[in-house]
Amino acid sequence: MQATQIIHAYKQAPWRVQRQYVGAFLLAVIGMAMIAALYLDVTARAAVAGREIQELRFNTTTIQRANADLETQLANMTSTTEMERRALELGYRPVKPGELDYVPVPGFAAPEPAILLAADDITPRSQALPIEYTQSLIEWVDERVKTGGSR
Amino acid sequence: MRQTYAVRSLIIVIGLVFVGLAVIVQMVRIQNSEQAKIFISQGDRYSGEFSMVYPERGEIYDRGGHLLAGNRTVYEVGVSLAEMENPEKLASVLGTYLGLTYNEVLNKLIESPESWEYVVIQDYVGAETVSSLQELMKQMEDASDDGLNGLGFKPHFQRSYPEDSLASNLLGFVTRDGRGYFGIEEKYNDLLAGNPVQVWVPRDPNKAMEIPKVPNGTTLVLTINRDLQAKVENILDEALTNYGAENGTIIVMDPRNGEILAMATTPRIDLNNYTAYFSTYDNGSQYNRAIGMAYEAGSVVKVLTMAAALDTGTVTPSTTYIDTGSIEVGGITIWNWDRQAWGQQNMTGCLQHSLNVCLAWIATQMGPQSFYGYMERFGLGHQTGIDLSGEAMGRLKVPGDSDWYNVDLGTNAFGQGVTVTPLQMMMAVSAVANDGHMVTPHVLYSMLRDGHQYNVPSQYAGSPISSATANTLNEMLAISLEQESSQALLPGYRLAGKTGTAQIPTDFGYDANHTNVSFIGWGPADDPQFMVYVWLQRPSASIWSSETAAPVFSEVAEQTVVLLNIPPDVVRLQLAVTK
Repeated sequence: MQATQIIHAYKQAPWRVQRQYVGAFLLAVIGMAMIAALYLDVTARAAVAGREIQELRFNTTTIQRANADLETQLANMTSTTEMERRALELGYRPVKPGELDYVPVPGFAAPEPAILLAADDITPRSQALPIEYTQSLIEWVDERVKTGGSR
Repeated sequence: MRQTYAVRSLIIVIGLVFVGLAVIVQMVRIQNSEQAKIFISQGDRYSGEFSMVYPERGEIYDRGGHLLAGNRTVYEVGVSLAEMENPEKLASVLGTYLGLTYNEVLNKLIESPESWEYVVIQDYVGAETVSSLQELMKQMEDASDDGLNGLGFKPHFQRSYPEDSLASNLLGFVTRDGRGYFGIEEKYNDLLAGNPVQVWVPRDPNKAMEIPKVPNGTTLVLTINRDLQAKVENILDEALTNYGAENGTIIVMDPRNGEILAMATTPRIDLNNYTAYFSTYDNGSQYNRAIGMAYEAGSVVKVLTMAAALDTGTVTPSTTYIDTGSIEVGGITIWNWDRQAWGQQNMTGCLQHSLNVCLAWIATQMGPQSFYGYMERFGLGHQTGIDLSGEAMGRLKVPGDSDWYNVDLGTNAFGQGVTVTPLQMMMAVSAVANDGHMVTPHVLYSMLRDGHQYNVPSQYAGSPISSATANTLNEMLAISLEQESSQALLPGYRLAGKTGTAQIPTDFGYDANHTNVSFIGWGPADDPQFMVYVWLQRPSASIWSSETAAPVFSEVAEQTVVLLNIPPDVVRLQLAVTK
């Protein structure tokens, strides 16, 4: 009986009902604020990252230009006319065929130019790792199904 | 009282709700109005800009990795009219730094159409000038002087040729619109230029990842040996001076695979100043005479005639011919170059003394069908297929052509009445130096793209003669050079070759006073590793090839054996034994 009265009294207390509504509303507001803050944070981070990407792209382009310029400058400094001029200044002179000595060097291979060394030959290479090390489980099952379990 | 407050509150609430709803309705209405679409499109327009991204043009290297064609940064100098504060100051400064007049710059700045936001003052300005201008801008900014406000610099690439005129005839050039003309630059323009891409560059940093990466153009590595090219060009320039020739061409090729090692012609231009083309050449065929200009080469064609005759069995090296100094072919009398009778000669003697009569007789013995069949197989009258732009075909008249006469069989046999380019001759004669296999000349050694190397394989262009014929003729030409004590010889090396002195056709018959002199030779004779073709136009010091083109060949051969590390025959054979 007493408990029923307490519940009745509690339910009927209007300030409690209001507080519940206010609490729920505030909870929703806080939830939305948190989501908004999170969204703002993520957006801000993305914007900063995006700006950094733009700057890095710009830097990449600048460096590429500088690289091309330096390469051209180096080529200018090592051009045939320039190298010949420097060689003559140092007291060198062009060699005649009879002045050369030829020595056989077993196994000697003429060095590749640097420009070709920088690139990979497209000649297909044999796979270094056996297939077991690179194959996924699905690929393995697929292969077994196709080959009927035999290799 | 409470009720009054409640009514007032209700009215205020209703009012606020109404205002709120009105705001929402208005927002929705504006968002979906026709004007909104215009505003949205305007907003989109200013949210970024379309930009054409031109990839960096691929570089060109020689076979040793030396840069022959690269790129350097130049700037477009312009002024943002909206930001401009002091046009007079800008005109004064830019006029001084860019070499323009004050009025020229000022007119651009103040007389531009109102719709213009930006005006270009000068393009292709060098980095040093721009650096000086930027320094000045900084100083003025520090001094709170806004006189240069609005001035801007847009960097972009310009083609650069570090070796200036070296191999200019072979490389070609790139104009300011980015298109390649002549040579490699034109032939491989699409590969070198890459694929320009139009991209939308958003100002929103969140969309920064949407900008695609444009790959650079393909880098090319040529078969050219830069040092040999330089030497050959020097030799050619000196030859023109020494022999008073108008122009000339020298080609060095590896007869085993068709790789062009050097290709020099005159005149050449500094590729960094390509506009000199218009004042240097009368037409495009003069740009690279080695491939673009066909001429009557004269006696060097006798090599092909003899090759055909040996291959068909019409003659052997020991076949004898009684030379009386003249022969009648098609009702026309053909004379030797000295109008003398040389008596009994074997076939080596016919080549050694370059007897027109003997070779005309050989052609008549072969008959036109067989003779022209071989000339066709040697590629005369067809392009060689070299990977350079602007190749000429030459002209080989054949029976059935309206302008072919019976006498042509005789004259064609010693290289008159048939036009060839120097490169065509090299390709044809490569069969003699390469065991009967003719090679396709090429200048591209390798392509580099995205970090991968693609080597260009050598190609054979057929086998017009047998290996036995080639070796026999090779020996005959080596002997004929030795017995002639030719100026083409190089001590320590056994070489094979043939001179060619040709009269020049004009509208009124052949020019009696001027000749084209040529020489084709290769070595070492037992293992040919290089082949050289020399052509000097109208030499005044001597009209004979043996006195002009032959010594030039010797000079080229001397430089070639040094730069290609080809030891003298004795040493080479010793090294071969010890290997």
